[in-house]
Amino acid sequence: MKLIKRTYFLTALWLLPVMFIGSVFCFYMIEYIAYEETDEFLTYEMERLLDYHKTNGNLPDYHKVSNIIPGLRYDKPVFKDTLLLETGDNEMVPYRMLYFTIHHKGRDFTIVLSHLLLGKDDVAQGTALIIFGLMFLVSAFLVLIVNHVTRKIWAPFYQSLNQLTQFKIGNPLPQFPKTTIEEFETLNATLAALLKKITNDYQHNKEFNENASHELQTHLAVIRSNTEKLLNKIPESTGKASELQTIYSASTRLSQVQRSLLLLSKISNGEYSKDVNVDMRQILFQSLSTFSETIELRGITVKKDFQPCEIYMDAGLAEILINNLVKNAVKHNVQDGFISIKLTASSLETENSGLPIQGDPGRMFRRFAKGNNGNSGIGLAIVDQICELYGFVLSYEVSGTSNHKITIRWR
Amino acid sequence: MKILIVEDNTQLLEAIRETLVGEHYVCETAEKYTAASEKIHMHNYDVMVVDINLPGGSGLKLIREIKGINPATGIIIISARNSLDHKIEGLELGADDYLTKPFDMAELVVRVKALLRRRSFSGTSTVTFGDISIDTGRREVTAGGTKVDLTKSEYNILLFFFSNPNRVLTRESIAEHIWGDNMDLADSFDFIYSHIRNLRKKLTATGVDDPIKVVYGIGYRLKRDYN
Repeated sequence: MKLIKRTYFLTALWLLPVMFIGSVFCFYMIEYIAYEETDEFLTYEMERLLDYHKTNGNLPDYHKVSNIIPGLRYDKPVFKDTLLLETGDNEMVPYRMLYFTIHHKGRDFTIVLSHLLLGKDDVAQGTALIIFGLMFLVSAFLVLIVNHVTRKIWAPFYQSLNQLTQFKIGNPLPQFPKTTIEEFETLNATLAALLKKITNDYQHNKEFNENASHELQTHLAVIRSNTEKLLNKIPESTGKASELQTIYSASTRLSQVQRSLLLLSKISNGEYSKDVNVDMRQILFQSLSTFSETIELRGITVKKDFQPCEIYMDAGLAEILINNLVKNAVKHNVQDGFISIKLTASSLETENSGLPIQGDPGRMFRRFAKGNNGNSGIGLAIVDQICELYGFVLSYEVSGTSNHKITIRWR
Repeated sequence: MKILIVEDNTQLLEAIRETLVGEHYVCETAEKYTAASEKIHMHNYDVMVVDINLPGGSGLKLIREIKGINPATGIIIISARNSLDHKIEGLELGADDYLTKPFDMAELVVRVKALLRRRSFSGTSTVTFGDISIDTGRREVTAGGTKVDLTKSEYNILLFFFSNPNRVLTRESIAEHIWGDNMDLADSFDFIYSHIRNLRKKLTATGVDDPIKVVYGIGYRLKRDYN
């Protein structure tokens, strides 16, 4: 929800109780005034009648007396409310009555004056009309004003936000707009400092990786070439070659591990970002053909169900992703096993026969997880890392006793 | 055949030089960009083996230079940076091949030989060992006069052996030769074993002797006293 919408929504919510309290207040206010006025009017009338009676001993010709009850006496004038039937529209309407007593020719007469009151429903209706009308006016102006003011005040914020969303690591740092609002100025300054730090870290990391890679691999090349030379010089019959072989294997393995780690850190560093629409079918076909002889050697049957699927991602990473999945399915398979690959526009499922694994399957996606036959390597960790980068959902399950299924849901 | 090796690590440079001299190539070396640049202006080379990261300049610049002076020179890039960008840039500049450090000398030899075959014989050449010969142009193998039908990997393994007749080929180097980065080495030894077993079966089925010898625990080599 947008900031301004949220503001309106919350303001509107707060206005509701205000409206309610306001309506109640307004209602009682109007009613109070109505009573006040009616009572005043009736009192005047009573005084007029009393005065007239005192001087003339009679009631005036024109008066508003609604009833005269002989023999009843009130010491003081009394106000009462009552409902009377209005014959016109056959409805009970409220009246205000004033009872007072005059002494006429030795007898007490209680005179009843009455006056029509405002009906409660009429008051309520009026109140509602006033309140709603007022609220509508206030809201309309509030929206106009808030819109205008917000747009003006928040402009630098939205500009910064826009620059931030478009920023890609490795690009030149954005210049945030100057603003006189202190909070935004602080925000911009903090953001600029953070981005600078991130960019520097990124650069350092990248350089460190490259340097480490360069130095390590060059010296590994020296170790390897010299070991290779010695392997060729030592007569095979002496059996001394096995120590050399150990050195040779370790250096080979080391360079491979280093390459994989470099790849992982490059992926998480976001150094692969040439995103294009990649035809996954084509990559799967390529990958399967790379491993076709290995698949044949093991007598593995491959079931392919490829539907058109284009994913927007780095082409190199797509290849690495698919290759690692296929490699994994081939590597951890059994003689005369099967591989089943199902590609749809929404997901990729690779299932293969294999040996049962012990422990938590999620472990497999960790670097250098130990499998049945020692190190299960880093291939699935790379798959995991690529999925994380693009927000693909990776899941792993074992179906039956030893069928392994890896599912990737594209988002 | 004259080869220029440009590499700033002295030990690696020496190892490469020794290997290529052992294959009877004339080799010259340079450790710095300027020295290499001087050499390519003064002499003609058939092949230049060049590292990208050099003191004083980039190997990519050297490639550009040599392509201007002598476009026929074959170029093999050796780089520790396994970066795709460099690879693509190098190959676009006209490099013929790209090797990532560390590599086996056997691998370098087979690449140099393949490059020279492509350069000198316009794509056709026959490599022979005993009764067995490989027509690298047609990718055909003949053993004892009979054509042998090999799979892609078997063919590549046999050519790898024939390009390195005096060398022990480790299982690692064979695996790297076939799959490159696509396979974890430790897991591929079974496959190598199967490939070589099938290759031997196919060759001996034609009546020739098995040319491949097992070097226990290490790998394989071609038999020294073969025919």
